[in-house]
Amino acid sequence: MNNPILSVQDLTTSFRVDGQWRDVVRGVNFDIGERETVAVVGESGSGKSVTAMSIMRLLSPGNSRSAGRIEFEGKNLLDMPLDAMQSIRGNRIGMIFQEPMTSLNPVLKIGEQITEVLRQHRGMDGAQAEAEAVRLLDRVRIPSAKQRLNEYPMNFSGGMRQRVVIAIALACSPKLLIADEPTTALDVTIQAQILELIKTLQEEEGMSVLFITHDMGVVAEISDRTVVMFRGDVVETASTAEIFREARHPYSRALLSAVPQLGAMTGTDRPLRFPRVDMSSGEIQSPPATADTVRADAPPVLKVDNLVTRFPVRKGILRRVVGRIHAVEDLSFELRQGETLSLVGESGCGKSTTGRSLIRLEEPAGGAISVAGQDVRGAGHSDLTKIRRDVQMIFQDPFESLNLRIRIGDAIAEPMITHGLATRRNAEAKVTDLLERVGLSGDMISRFPHEFSGGQRQRICIARALSLEPKLIIADESVSALDVSVKAQVINLMLDLQEQYGLGYLFISHDMAVVERISHRVAVMYLGEIVEIGPRASVFENPQHPYTRKLIAAVPIADPSRRQRRLATADEIGSPYRSADFVPPKRHYREVGDGHFVMVDASEVAA
Amino acid sequence: MTDVSKTASVHTGGKTDKSRSHSVSPFRIIMGKLVRDPLALTGLVIVSILVLAAVFASVIAPQDPYDLAQLDIMDGRLAPGAESFTGMTYLLGTDDQGRDLFSAILYGLRTSILVGVASAAIALLIGAAVGLLSAYAGGRTDAFLMRVVDIQLSFPAILVALILLAVLGQGVDKIILALVVTQWAYYARTIRGSALVERKRAYVDAARSMALPDRRILFRHILPNCLAPLIVVATMRVAYAIMLEATLSFLGIGLPVTEPSLGLLVSNGFEYMLSGDYWISFFPGVALLILIVAINLIGDSLRDILNPRREG
Repeated sequence: MNNPILSVQDLTTSFRVDGQWRDVVRGVNFDIGERETVAVVGESGSGKSVTAMSIMRLLSPGNSRSAGRIEFEGKNLLDMPLDAMQSIRGNRIGMIFQEPMTSLNPVLKIGEQITEVLRQHRGMDGAQAEAEAVRLLDRVRIPSAKQRLNEYPMNFSGGMRQRVVIAIALACSPKLLIADEPTTALDVTIQAQILELIKTLQEEEGMSVLFITHDMGVVAEISDRTVVMFRGDVVETASTAEIFREARHPYSRALLSAVPQLGAMTGTDRPLRFPRVDMSSGEIQSPPATADTVRADAPPVLKVDNLVTRFPVRKGILRRVVGRIHAVEDLSFELRQGETLSLVGESGCGKSTTGRSLIRLEEPAGGAISVAGQDVRGAGHSDLTKIRRDVQMIFQDPFESLNLRIRIGDAIAEPMITHGLATRRNAEAKVTDLLERVGLSGDMISRFPHEFSGGQRQRICIARALSLEPKLIIADESVSALDVSVKAQVINLMLDLQEQYGLGYLFISHDMAVVERISHRVAVMYLGEIVEIGPRASVFENPQHPYTRKLIAAVPIADPSRRQRRLATADEIGSPYRSADFVPPKRHYREVGDGHFVMVDASEVAA
Repeated sequence: MTDVSKTASVHTGGKTDKSRSHSVSPFRIIMGKLVRDPLALTGLVIVSILVLAAVFASVIAPQDPYDLAQLDIMDGRLAPGAESFTGMTYLLGTDDQGRDLFSAILYGLRTSILVGVASAAIALLIGAAVGLLSAYAGGRTDAFLMRVVDIQLSFPAILVALILLAVLGQGVDKIILALVVTQWAYYARTIRGSALVERKRAYVDAARSMALPDRRILFRHILPNCLAPLIVVATMRVAYAIMLEATLSFLGIGLPVTEPSLGLLVSNGFEYMLSGDYWISFFPGVALLILIVAINLIGDSLRDILNPRREG
């Protein structure tokens, strides 16, 4: 590379924490060439975002400092005065952030937010700026751009907002675009659209892109070269193809082996553990196969028939019901002991509401649920208590689902004591045992949740769920918030526990690749309905419903040699809102294989 | 900016993974932060001194200002530093009854602090119970209780207290009751707000999904997480209650003349202000001012420390 656009040399950034300077990023070196995409990949705490913020000089000068050189167009950004930096920021270098919900001002119209930049940086007058804004929205493929200029951010979906943010970043035709986890908060089909959009725009505008991400799949899709960061250090820099073919550093290998690869499971029936990587030698140890845990002979532990959950939308002084969110609509499935059924779908498809309805955290509006033969919807207080013991839930955010003011030992002991499974005296021994079973140490018992990392907290939540000796665990996006390597460990743990206790899992997730790894059976949900359900191998290898196919196609493939271009579309996920008098049509399913059902149109059934 | 601090804390968090055998309680953390804020520390020191002085008033004070037998009308309205016939020095002068003002202020502080803290504590208990119940029950119960709170808050506190005291008569217990009636609604409103937020958090769902009893969820899980704003409100309200009590006493309907609180002392000296005997009103007024400012300093700092957005 002869002439890099951006050259980062020996960048070291430190933060002042409690009066002491700590290096968060140490000696980072990399170049970005013209029209090149470089990905910086790493897990939380790796310093990848701090690197991006240092380049933009967005860190607060009081408690952070950067040393080294950041050369952009021949000038060192680090010793540039701040007002000169202003003319580079947003002008020569554009930036897009992770959270499209907060990076737009909610009280200003979209049009104003774009034209503001154009007037400021490009000196346009009102009419010019508006015409340019329409052109920009067209470029990021927002349909009927002219009308949408007068709308507020709240009228835009997450994906559309991210398009607007990209349009603003493009307003001054930057030479370099820094994208800090721009698709992390988005659904997988929307993520595919945005990635495609960034690729297309890069070609059209001739920009270079610095792409910050934690997702190796995204890296494989988008970047020419890749910088792998680990705890503030760059551990490997190479072309993306090379990293995926023969990563040298043990950490890069560990990261890669922890990435679930869609399609890696072809030809197997059972779930598969993630391989472990020895962090000193970099050797990959293939995981032991899982045992056959499904008890096909016993009656199902969970049986759901025509479950319906709706949320009324009220308006006016009289709070009349003007419409309903049909979160769960006519859902039926079964789950056997030792089996993992995954509910997979995008945001708003009702998968979480389904999980919550099963133990009546949300009150269902219709249908029947039975847990180990016990009717849930008709259950009185004491029966419900029994049911909530048999069915445990693990939530998405391990930072939220533990009470910060209660020591973890007490948090795990509390349900056991309440349900009479332990006395105050023997609770401690049981808690110690549980902690060790989930891979933590028994002497952590008197610590508070804030002293643990995300993965450790999720293990604590699992220990707490296990303490009640449940038959079924509902895992609601339980690994989604975790880093890839931690995610792999927690999934391995869940598979171990399934073998040990014969647990059934209802695994709720949006992540197709993880679902492929862990499930026996899969149900694909869209707008509150199951559109396809069946054995995992059958659904993934022979998807029948168009939505299932779309979902599978949208997952980034962690293999740069299989990179594919998609159409730069702007389809949105539908809304489950219906008017109050809406009567849902009857659903029809067709069996396409052994236990593999697909929803079909009523017209097809008649034919 | 949040992203950066998160990254930083995760990073340092990973490094300091040494096993600590015991953990620091939230109370110690808060106290530690309070002490590090110079303004709060000043407030804390002043309040501690005033509280100690009030508690040990009977030991420190040269005279029992409530014991009429010890008062000598001949010593009335002596200037600060004057000596009595018996050879006693009146540090801050005397009032029209010949009461040593220094002693009277110490005893007055005791009454003021007692009234302020007791009324705030009782109002907190009642308000917290109502607010929690309201948030957890929701629906009609919530609507009813909150309308009661609205009505209560729509009357000026001083008016309600005036009416109550006019009906009940004078006395420490009566004035505490009047202050509780005027204050509980603030606590109810505050705790309901935070309980509504907490109720939606995942840890409450987790507790419900493990079928823990409602009582336990309410008091062991939700309540401790609502305490932060409550503590801030309580601190500010103690100061307000002390002020309200002083106002009522000043108006002559709070405490009996024989047991003057700070407000009553100010009131007693009021008529002599223009004749140059400023000290009778001035020193009790200053004591009141210092107490209230000091409490508010602590309250302000607590609000900053307990603000969840700043919690590191």
